[in-house]
Amino acid sequence: MATYLEFIQQNEERDGVRFSWNVWPSSRLEATRMVVPLACLLTPLKERPDLPPVQYEPVLCSRPTCKAILNPLCQVDYRAKLWACNFCFQRNQFPPAYTGISEVNQPAELMPQFSTIEYVIQRGAQSPLIFLYVVDTCLEEDDLQALKESLQMSLSLLPPDALVGLITFGRMVQVHELSCEGISKSYVFRGTKDLTAKQIQDMLGLTKPAMPMQQARPGPPQEHPFVSSRFLQPVHKIDMNLTDLLGELQRDPWPVTQGKRPLRSTGVALSIAVGLLEGTFPNTGARIMLFTGGPPTQGPGMVVGDELKVPIRSWHDIEKDNARFMKKATKHYEMLANRTATNGHCIDIYACALDQTGLLEMKCCANLTGGHMVMGDSFNTSLFKQTFQRIFSKDFNGDFRMAFGATLEVKTSRELKVAGAIGPCVSLNVKGPCVSENELGVGGTNQWKICGLDPTSTLGIYFEVVNQHNAPVPQGGRGAIQFVTQYQHSSTQRRIRVTTIARNWADAQSQLRHIEAAFDQEAAAVLMARLGVFRAESEEGPDVLRWLDRQLIRLCQKFGQYNKEDPTSFRLSDSFSLYPQPVLLDSSSILADRILLMDTFFQIVIYLGETIAQWRKAGYQDMPEYENFKHLLQAPLDDAQEILQARFPMPRYINTEHGGSQARFLLSKVNPSQTHNNLYAWGQETGAPILTDDVSLQVFMDHLKKLAVSSAC
Amino acid sequence: MAELYVKPGNKERGWNDPPQFSYGLQTLAGGPKRTPLTKRIAAPQDGSPRVPVSQTSQGPPPMGPPPPSSQASRPPPVGSYLASSVKPANLPVMESETLLEDVLKPLEEALEDCRGHTKKQVCDDISRRLALLQEQWAGGKLSVSVKKRMALLVQELSSHQWDAADNIHCSLMVDHVTEVSQWMVGVKRLIAEKRNLSSEEEANEEKSTATAEEFQTVPGVQEAP
Repeated sequence: MATYLEFIQQNEERDGVRFSWNVWPSSRLEATRMVVPLACLLTPLKERPDLPPVQYEPVLCSRPTCKAILNPLCQVDYRAKLWACNFCFQRNQFPPAYTGISEVNQPAELMPQFSTIEYVIQRGAQSPLIFLYVVDTCLEEDDLQALKESLQMSLSLLPPDALVGLITFGRMVQVHELSCEGISKSYVFRGTKDLTAKQIQDMLGLTKPAMPMQQARPGPPQEHPFVSSRFLQPVHKIDMNLTDLLGELQRDPWPVTQGKRPLRSTGVALSIAVGLLEGTFPNTGARIMLFTGGPPTQGPGMVVGDELKVPIRSWHDIEKDNARFMKKATKHYEMLANRTATNGHCIDIYACALDQTGLLEMKCCANLTGGHMVMGDSFNTSLFKQTFQRIFSKDFNGDFRMAFGATLEVKTSRELKVAGAIGPCVSLNVKGPCVSENELGVGGTNQWKICGLDPTSTLGIYFEVVNQHNAPVPQGGRGAIQFVTQYQHSSTQRRIRVTTIARNWADAQSQLRHIEAAFDQEAAAVLMARLGVFRAESEEGPDVLRWLDRQLIRLCQKFGQYNKEDPTSFRLSDSFSLYPQPVLLDSSSILADRILLMDTFFQIVIYLGETIAQWRKAGYQDMPEYENFKHLLQAPLDDAQEILQARFPMPRYINTEHGGSQARFLLSKVNPSQTHNNLYAWGQETGAPILTDDVSLQVFMDHLKKLAVSSAC
Repeated sequence: MAELYVKPGNKERGWNDPPQFSYGLQTLAGGPKRTPLTKRIAAPQDGSPRVPVSQTSQGPPPMGPPPPSSQASRPPPVGSYLASSVKPANLPVMESETLLEDVLKPLEEALEDCRGHTKKQVCDDISRRLALLQEQWAGGKLSVSVKKRMALLVQELSSHQWDAADNIHCSLMVDHVTEVSQWMVGVKRLIAEKRNLSSEEEANEEKSTATAEEFQTVPGVQEAP
């Protein structure tokens, strides 16, 4: 229905929220029968150029177990200056500052258009942003030079009062003391032995100052004890010296003999970085940025030994439990990732190499902390350089898009509970009345921490309807959810973003059509996909596929119209036109006189059909009477440019044509409706056959329909 | 004033390395909204394979020419920088060459202004880097684009347009890091020191006018640069 599409779009634009179901089934039993769980995708820091933050603190419900924030769903008595919390119904007195409010003089947070609102928190010291570079020196000369230049360039993009630090590593790990004096000193650690946080802090001479860090100093921010770490200095003081220091970095001097890999102590380097920040700046926004050009080969966290004749673990090794270093290495990085998240810091990994670098073992570092993971072939490529530049991209106010140290809390009205979240977060293990016992994703809590995020970071949040079957539809007919995200803005202000939404309940027995009409199939597909991936982390592949198949069949049985045992009668309403249905990227779209542009997010592929390619070769685009052909060739380039100019991370760009070797990027992704198996069965030879044994989506749908209508299922 | 161009990626080191956009192009605010490319279309429910209308191809196709332009051709969209075969942009021929003196002299003057106010060590460091700039310029090691943009930077600096000067320095670091990295950080610092100096001078002026006019207001808090 057109109206629901608009509704979905408006809500996404205003609140950064998309629900799988926008009309909610009113009982637990009926909700489970919907197959797709009641869940939403939340983009906590959705860019809202039209929403200036308010310069006061939010008003909270006074009930200690509630503490919901005043929002447009609350009932207000303007005469008595009271408001009723819509979550727990507690009546609260407005604070003194609100004495002047009335029906015609409402504070912003009560107005319906401010279902999403942002507050700036004034109290507390404003700590600077911190960037700690951890740099692998076991790189080829060209690569190291390119990386050095990118790091020097980044000093121009960092804000002047941000703190910056440098750790380099190879066989040894060097922590560089940054000073403005001529002589540069560094502390050297062996790369083979892991150290505890305390040992690292002692060896670096980071004794605790007389005044504890957490105590906030009143008054304007001046020379803070914060700023005095020798290893993390403000950009405006240290940029010239650090530029020189970076310029002078050499390749790891330890010789690499024939048949050996360089000794790379990534595990210890990262450990020292985490310990350094832990000891100096806990609980303030910081990024550890790891730049590496190969796998860790010594010390804790090593992924492969230094003998080239012993290859790095393959998929078969992992399947057969024959990957010698994997468990221990993964454990090491998980320990570091969890500590980092506890400290409120995030870890980025920039891995540029033609071979593997052990990202499987290290991925938790980015995933748990909200950091980036960027893979490239070399630091001397535009893919790395531009992706790296875009980390420092700014919004319409000239502030960095990146944000730090976020905590997300989700409150629900009493008919709902929170089952869990899936995304770049860790649990804060906060139990409460909103927390469900059934877990989907990271559950057992209604609060999570996201240490690194930006305006596109999105979490999947899963709910459970707890109303009993045949219990009456709740009074007022609507359920409500509030999302409260506290975070450190890149301007170092602390802010709170509050989104409060409501949706109608409906009785699934009598109003299934209404529920169906409000189904958001794109959101549902993403939420189910995230659930599948989450399961795949701990379950076997085939089990996950079976689960996905079962959900699809149940969904079709619930919402399809059909006559039993008659697959040809099967129909789904328009609400299910995309999910589950075949998509239009089909091999039959590959035609001689067409140009295709395929966007897989990580790749942009422009593919010229055979005839187009021949025309281009013949030079028709240069003839004035064929100017429209010139425009045709240019059109996909313009579309590609628009994508390439803005997307983070930078995609790969493939410009190919029929018969080109690069055409495989397109051919491997299209729905193989014509394969070498069925090409002649159809009797028509249009489009390009795909050499695969995979079944096409049409065949898949036929099977799905058969199973859905069968009484046996 | 920033240069807007696209260079090809490094095909030797990176498979399908994307093209490199200049700093100016990347920071360009999104222009007129084009048709969104991500609207999904549903497949027909009956699941029959779509039969597109086109010629079948058996062996090499009969190569007729493309349909000629009959109507008025579509005007080329604004801001197309990707060419069919991505070639490096041809830099326009300069009418007059940028002189080293025109760039170096204002920078050295700016440094002199800062001498009383900035630490000696910092000034010496900046001075050393300006000497490096001179050496590289005179030695023909800097490209036309770098020289041209330095001239603009110096103009903005002299007009006290700190943000504009800073922006040009960023664009040079992003687009030409290999050429400029050794000395550009000195220019960056110089801009910052001049900015501080100038805001201090303004604050002092405000103070003296305030006392002269006997205003009670407190001078505004300095914003961080």
